[in-house]
Amino acid sequence: MAASKGKGLGKRIETLDVVLLIFLTFWAIVIILPFLNVIGISFASEKEYYNSMLVLIPKEATLENYKALIRDGRIWIGYRTTLLLVLIGVSLNMFLTTSMAYGLSRPNLPFRRFFVYFIVFTMMFNGGIIPLYLLMKQLNLINTLWSVILATGLNSFYLIIMRNYFLSLPQSLVESAKLDGAREWRIMVSVILPISMPIIATLTLFYAVDRWNEWFLAMIFIRKRELLTLQLALRSIVMESQGSEHFSASQTELKKFSQGMKMAAVLMTMVPIMCVFPFLQKYFVKGILIGAIKG
Amino acid sequence: MRNSTVARGRRKLFIEVWKMKEVYILLIPAVVWYIIFAYIPIYGLTLAFKTYKANLGIFRSPWVGFENYKYVFRDPAFLESIWRTIVINAGRIVFQFPFPIILALMLNEVRVNRYKKVIQTIYTFPHFLSWVIVASIMINILNTKGMVNAIISMLGGEPVNFLGSTKLFKPLLYITENWKSAGWTMIIYLAAMAGIDTEQYEAAIIDGASRLQMMWYITLPGIKSTIEVLLILQIGNIMTQGFDQIFNLSNPATAKVGEILDMYIYRVTFLAAADFSYSTAVSLFRSVVNFIFLNVADRVSKLLGSEGLFA
Repeated sequence: MAASKGKGLGKRIETLDVVLLIFLTFWAIVIILPFLNVIGISFASEKEYYNSMLVLIPKEATLENYKALIRDGRIWIGYRTTLLLVLIGVSLNMFLTTSMAYGLSRPNLPFRRFFVYFIVFTMMFNGGIIPLYLLMKQLNLINTLWSVILATGLNSFYLIIMRNYFLSLPQSLVESAKLDGAREWRIMVSVILPISMPIIATLTLFYAVDRWNEWFLAMIFIRKRELLTLQLALRSIVMESQGSEHFSASQTELKKFSQGMKMAAVLMTMVPIMCVFPFLQKYFVKGILIGAIKG
Repeated sequence: MRNSTVARGRRKLFIEVWKMKEVYILLIPAVVWYIIFAYIPIYGLTLAFKTYKANLGIFRSPWVGFENYKYVFRDPAFLESIWRTIVINAGRIVFQFPFPIILALMLNEVRVNRYKKVIQTIYTFPHFLSWVIVASIMINILNTKGMVNAIISMLGGEPVNFLGSTKLFKPLLYITENWKSAGWTMIIYLAAMAGIDTEQYEAAIIDGASRLQMMWYITLPGIKSTIEVLLILQIGNIMTQGFDQIFNLSNPATAKVGEILDMYIYRVTFLAAADFSYSTAVSLFRSVVNFIFLNVADRVSKLLGSEGLFA
């Protein structure tokens, strides 16, 4: 009897545990395998791809696909555009979000409720893409990066998360700073923002990922090849008709293994997200907790 | 007498506002942004009742009443797209919605913390990738020479044309969406489960309940309100969900079965001869239907005895 109580876990291993383990691990493999396949193909040669269908670790790894991708040029255009978008976009995002969130967190601000409704209303109703497109047209922003940067200037949901964070800070900090003669801006910059680094880091990451993944607005607003965003560059590379490698073979010096190049492009688009993911991971559970309550 | 108190009240308010002038200055940039990029487009929805003239702009284009809607409801492609949207998204509720709950219930039972963490990390990663990336990965593994077909033929089966099949398109949507974001939704449920009072489990153990019984009678009821909120949101999004996914996963062979309302709007706005009033009329219709769905779902959940979404 006592022996079946097991050790280590304090509880014995039941059939249920085995079933759970198998199922959960199976789903994890279902998620991981496609990524391994992408990485494998991106380093594989055309010959290897057609000989063995399930490429996970290529026997003779080659950088040819990446070279072809770089020669193609679209991926660089994408990187340049998207980096600009992230740099300018996230700065603007954080500026607008932080300033308004701080303002709305001040408890004795007259008309505070009005401003909160002003925000919440836009979360329930929006004009959608067509009026936005026509607005951009009238502002002469079509075919410029500014159309995308301004259209995504601020995320109301993130704004509310940040405001809730500010509200959770002890008010006594503000009061004591006031007694020392500090004014509002001063309090914000030297008292509140330094202790709000966790939320600032979180939202910066969230905004950065959003801008990195931008494609729809860019596709609608910007019809210029030189301003292709990274996601659209990837799209245009991947969506090129399957089997096109047979046709492009006529340009012998540009001969390339298109499936390999496509997967190299997928990987290059994904790498930055993979780099920030450990940080995202650290913060997102908190973020989602607030999110789960507010919907 | 009354006037003077009103005047005093106004004066007091003015002083309050003046004292906070620095704070109001902080609000200005974002408020200006909201007015231009959120409220003007909302006003722009009036285009649904106008005829858009490029030279006159949104504001000065002439009103035509419900004229646009006469054409909207005569387009069979529009009516089909509505039906398709409802069918696809109702399917999501059946085939997609329960999956993260099952994952969360299972992971919640795992007692090895390190394993739990690794699994969570793996499951949540795809959520942060755009549909462009995820679709690229799916097209790679599902094409006729891809990994899935390689596995099928290793097991002795016939290769399947997953991407070009109109029959498999809906299952493809449900499975790939689960692949991408079930893990993320699972985290929400796990968080809700962490909030369940442990005393309930202790009492159940004393009563001799099995783990499956605890799952069914304690854990599941414990996350009931979370399930409801997410379900309401899912129903409320019935008209808008899935554009990114379908846009990136469909191809000429499957375009027809995937033309949900948003795809239809995209097509008539940006691919066909653009009639902006017409497509605004369609998208306004979509928003209204969405809003009705959201409210009905909320009302129903209240009737069933829960707090609902706007509690």
